[in-house]
Amino acid sequence: MRKRLLQSTLTDIMKRNLSDGGFSNQPHGMFRPDATAWAMIIFKTQAGHEELVEAAGKRLERSQIIDGRVVLSQDHLDAVWPTPLSILAWQGSSSSKDSWSKAVAFLLQAAGVHWENTDQALVGHDTLIPGWPWSEDTHSWVTPTAMSMLALASAGFREHERVQAGVRLLVDRQIPSGGWNYGNTSVLGKELRPFPETTGLALNALAGHVKQEQIQSSLEFLLEHVSTFRTPLSLGWSILGLRAWHIVPDLAPEWINETLERGHRFDGYDTASLCVLLAAGLATGGLESLLPSVPQESRLY
Amino acid sequence: MSQQSTNFLTWTRRQFLKLFLAGSSLAASSVSVPMVGNASDVRSQVFVGKAPTYDGNIRAIIERGFQELGVSKAEIHGKKIFLKPNLVETHVEHAHINTHPLVVRAAIEAFLSLGARQVVVGEGPGHRRDALHILEESGLGPILYEDRIPFIDLNEQTGYAVKNQGEWTSLSTLTFPGVFHDVDWIISMPKLKTHHWAGVTLSMKNLFGVMPGLYYGWPKNVLHHQGIHESILDITATLKPHFAIVDGIVGMEGDGPIMGSPKSMGVVVMGRNLPAVDSTCARLMGIDPYQVPYLNAAADWLGPINEERIYQRGDSIGSLQQNFSLLPHIPAHQRLRLS
Repeated sequence: MRKRLLQSTLTDIMKRNLSDGGFSNQPHGMFRPDATAWAMIIFKTQAGHEELVEAAGKRLERSQIIDGRVVLSQDHLDAVWPTPLSILAWQGSSSSKDSWSKAVAFLLQAAGVHWENTDQALVGHDTLIPGWPWSEDTHSWVTPTAMSMLALASAGFREHERVQAGVRLLVDRQIPSGGWNYGNTSVLGKELRPFPETTGLALNALAGHVKQEQIQSSLEFLLEHVSTFRTPLSLGWSILGLRAWHIVPDLAPEWINETLERGHRFDGYDTASLCVLLAAGLATGGLESLLPSVPQESRLY
Repeated sequence: MSQQSTNFLTWTRRQFLKLFLAGSSLAASSVSVPMVGNASDVRSQVFVGKAPTYDGNIRAIIERGFQELGVSKAEIHGKKIFLKPNLVETHVEHAHINTHPLVVRAAIEAFLSLGARQVVVGEGPGHRRDALHILEESGLGPILYEDRIPFIDLNEQTGYAVKNQGEWTSLSTLTFPGVFHDVDWIISMPKLKTHHWAGVTLSMKNLFGVMPGLYYGWPKNVLHHQGIHESILDITATLKPHFAIVDGIVGMEGDGPIMGSPKSMGVVVMGRNLPAVDSTCARLMGIDPYQVPYLNAAADWLGPINEERIYQRGDSIGSLQQNFSLLPHIPAHQRLRLS
């Protein structure tokens, strides 16, 4: 990634820093917890932004409610999916340690709705394996489960039974011919097709948990198509997914540059997507390589 | 409407749909649900226009439809128009999944020619978070960029909650994307497709895509948990879209909405009333709208679905009708065939 392009992108994101410390997802937008968390993850990797990160972390705490969940908005307390992102953003921050701890505790007890699938022909996955939902009282899906696994692993719970169950869920939801979509391998007997962003994310979450042969077909799906991706989420997560398995496409920096430069076609990218793309350019491995390390099996609450 | 009557209607409709979904074979003509809106006169006109290929003059067909349906310069001048195509997923050689970009372009041009102040396009794909990737791969992105038409990812929009006017689900409010505060007309622009859960996906089912994933998840989990048919009814009743333009030039049959086969139908279907448009589309597909639970439940409440109560303009259904293939292993396809 070109240094000047990185700097100008960081400057663009900085312009979305609100007076209360949080970040908006669009220029001139309102506070968004996910945009704030992603901005914190990126600015933590850059020297000289400690105060900005600290203030953003404090603003993010105001999106946390008493049971530890971090919600999208106060009128949608069921939208719990920003919780794992917040854990990643607060990682290593001494001033947000209590919030971080409460969020970890929430995640360890939260789960999607699960029931016995008596007809495998209907949906092709094991509906009983517990994972995490986007929204409370709904089924578990790939993105919130993978993000929760990354958050708990980063918090020292890599071997926890919930993370291990998440591993089983993701392996079970892998499409037989490779990759992941939102979380259904087949419907009514027909195999579905994979998406880049969920495949890259799932590969991040499974790194170090399964043997490469178990996810080889998914790596191959990304390797076959990644050179054609020019949008932040598809390209960013694909590169992060490959990097998590020590595969570094030589042209990745150029693809990132091209994608950043194409942003004008869409009047710019949203903060969260931009940060995923920057993460792909900055990481030496998967997303985990950007985060402060914490001793495993620490019990912090 | 009084609270008492609302509750009565809710109970009746819910019970009716439950009975229907349980497989009750209610005779179409005997089904009667109370009307809560005016579904008569101009709102029940539907235009069917022959459009053999995407290479033809689709704009001219849409403009003819406007003329037939009384959509005039006086009505559109100065309005901000929101077009909601169906963008689900993109895969090589599967262009029939999504509303064709040239139909969207034709609609943009037709509304601008009537003096619309601005036309914007938006979608909140149900399966994918990366809406821009779908936008680009579907071919719609380059067209919008060329025409300087903004695209809005509805999944990422901060929303506003409104009281659920349908009350088929247990959701007391529905959260719509903030951009809807700022538009005058909302146009549903679906693809003509069969659907493995809902039977058919047309202008009403297409509205799932307006519900922001931020609040409803991917694949709009909250709505699926509440029931697909019930959610379709609630969204339609609450949002009250102004118009529908259906891309039926090439539709999808079999295992829709993504895994089915292309079906050349050569039609564009338009109208102000969504149940009337969708039931007309169903008939064109050789499907009995009374056997599609959400259409049956919408009948005479959100609009007419009885053929005799829809004033059809343009080309006749009979001359264009083709049976879409329905699959025996898909429960939602059973008993759909128009007799």
